[in-house]
Amino acid sequence: MFDLRLIRADVLKLRRRRGMLALSFILTLGIVALIAGVAAIRHAGNPLEHRPAGGVMAYKDSMFVLTLMMLVVGAIVGATAGAQDLESGVFRDLAATGRSRLALFGSRIPGACAIVLPIAGLAAAAVAIAGLALADGGISPDAAMIFAATAGVLTTGALTATVAVGLAALTGSKAAVIATMLGFNLALAPLLSGIAWLGDARHAIAPNALNRIGHTANEGVDMGLITAIVVVIAWAAAAFAAGAWRTQAREI
Amino acid sequence: MSTQHDASHRNHDAPVNSRSLVPSSLAVQTLGVGKRFGSRAALADVDLEVPRGCAFGLLGPNGAGKTTLIRLLLGLAAPTAGQMRLLGRKLPSGSADALARVGAIIEEPRFHPHLSGRENLAIHAAARERAAYARIDGALARVVLTARADDRVKSYSMGMRQRLGIARCLLADPELLILDEPMNGLDPAGIGELRDLIRALVDEGRTVLLSSHLLDEIERTCDAAAILDDGKVIAQGRLDELTAGGPRAIDITCSHPDQAALQLRGVPGIAQVTDHAGVLRVELGPEAAADREVISELLRRLLSAGFAIERVSPVAVSLEQRFLTMTTRLEDRS
Repeated sequence: MFDLRLIRADVLKLRRRRGMLALSFILTLGIVALIAGVAAIRHAGNPLEHRPAGGVMAYKDSMFVLTLMMLVVGAIVGATAGAQDLESGVFRDLAATGRSRLALFGSRIPGACAIVLPIAGLAAAAVAIAGLALADGGISPDAAMIFAATAGVLTTGALTATVAVGLAALTGSKAAVIATMLGFNLALAPLLSGIAWLGDARHAIAPNALNRIGHTANEGVDMGLITAIVVVIAWAAAAFAAGAWRTQAREI
Repeated sequence: MSTQHDASHRNHDAPVNSRSLVPSSLAVQTLGVGKRFGSRAALADVDLEVPRGCAFGLLGPNGAGKTTLIRLLLGLAAPTAGQMRLLGRKLPSGSADALARVGAIIEEPRFHPHLSGRENLAIHAAARERAAYARIDGALARVVLTARADDRVKSYSMGMRQRLGIARCLLADPELLILDEPMNGLDPAGIGELRDLIRALVDEGRTVLLSSHLLDEIERTCDAAAILDDGKVIAQGRLDELTAGGPRAIDITCSHPDQAALQLRGVPGIAQVTDHAGVLRVELGPEAAADREVISELLRRLLSAGFAIERVSPVAVSLEQRFLTMTTRLEDRS
C-alpha cells in the first residue's frame, strides 16, 4: 500500500510548489523567528518590563503558536497532496496504468508528511534553540518539555496533513478542504471546547488532543495522554478510510 | 444490430457468436457491454473486436459513447452489463496485468503544469514497472521533445502536450495504445507527424486504438474501424469493407458530355447518367455487372459513337460518406 516510488513521486509534486513551500516556511519558521526577534528587542530595551525571548514561558508560548501554525500548514500541504492529481486530471492517467488506487492514495499521506514534518521539526528546533539561548538567566525548558512540545508539533503536522489528504481525496477540492479545516481548527474547535456541558465529548476534538500531547496550551480540556493518542489515531484512521474508499469508488 | 465483421481478423478460437469470452489474440474484445448513467444508456450491447497489430479507428458522432467505452476498457468506470477482454485478459480481474501493457490518452492529456515534461513522465513512471524510468529519454526523443523536456509543462503548446501524452504512453512499452481524439489541437504538420508515428508504432507490432471524429484522418491512418452511434456498434471491419456496399458510380471525362449522356441512357444496369460540371457521372443500379464489364460496355458505346474519352474512374465512397449514411443525425435523435 505504501510504495516508495509513488511516495517519492508525491514528494516531487509537492517539492516543486515553491509558493506553497515559501508560505509554509513563513507561517512556521518566519513567525517563530518574528516572535523571538520582537521579544528579544523588547527585552533588550527594558529587561525589567519585558521577559526574555527564551526561557520556559517564551518557549511554551512559541510552541503553542507553532502548533496553531502547523494546523494551517498541515491543512495546506495535505489538501494539496490529496487533491492535486484529481484537480490536474492526472489521476485518471495514473489509474489507467492498472496500479492499485489504494497504493496511489496511500502514497499521498507519507508524501505530505515528508514535507510537513521537516518544516515542523526545523521550526520546533529553532524555538528550542531560542528558548535555551535567549533565557537570559531565567529558567530554561528542560529536555522533557522540549520532547513533549516537539512531539505535539510533529503530531499536529502529521495528523492535520493526514486528515487533509483524506478529505481532499473525498471531495476532490483543495480549496474547500483548506477552508473547512481552518474554520474548524481555528474557530469552531475553540468554541466547542469552551462549552462545558459537552463534557468528555470535547475529548474527541482533535486540537484538544494535540494540545494535550504537546502540553503547550495554558488552558484546555483535561484528558489523559492515552485518550489523546487514541483520539489522534481515530481521526487519522477515519480520514484515511474515507479517502481510500472514495478513491477506490470514484468513476473518472 | 447490423455489424460487419472482418472474417480474417476474427479469432476463430473465440467466436463472438458463442456469446462467451475465451482467451484470445484480440487486443480488445467486448461482448454485450453496456453502461447506464441513471436511466440513460450511454452504451448498449457493444460487441467490439480489435485485432492485434493494426491501427483501429473508433468512430462516432459526439455523444456516441466512444470515450465511455474507452473509460470502461481502462477500468476508470465499471460497465453495467457485458464482458470485456483486454490483451487477452478478462476484465476487471486481469486489469492490472493488462493495463500494465497499455498506454492511453483519455480525452486530452493532462499533466501537472508546475512540473517539467521530464518530471511528469517520472511521476507516471513511478506508477509503472521499474523499467519505465529507463524509457523516459527514449520516449521524449521519439516525440521530439528532448529540447523542451526540462521546461515546465504550463509553457507547452497543445501540440507539445499531445506529444508528451504519447511519450507517457510509451513508458509502458505498450502492446496497445488507446488514443482518444489525439489529433485535437494539432496543426496540419502535427497531425501528419502523429499519423507517421502511429503507423511506425503499428509497424513495430503494437496495436493502436484511435478514437476520432476526423474521418479523413482515420481513413488515412487506420486499417480497420468500428462505427459507434447512440451507444451501439453499428459497423466494424476493414476500411475497404466499411466503404463497400454504398452506391456505385463511374466518372467519365469525355467530349460533349451532354450528348454522351443521351447516348448512354437505357444501357442495362445504369440507373442514372448526369453531367457533373463537364464530367459524366454514371450511377449503376444494384443489378449492374462488375465495374470492369460495365466500363468496357460504356467505352465501347461511346467510342463507337465518336466521343473522345479522356479519363474513366470509379467513384470511391469515402468513409465520411458511409459514416454519414449510417449514423444518427442530431435532428433525428431529437
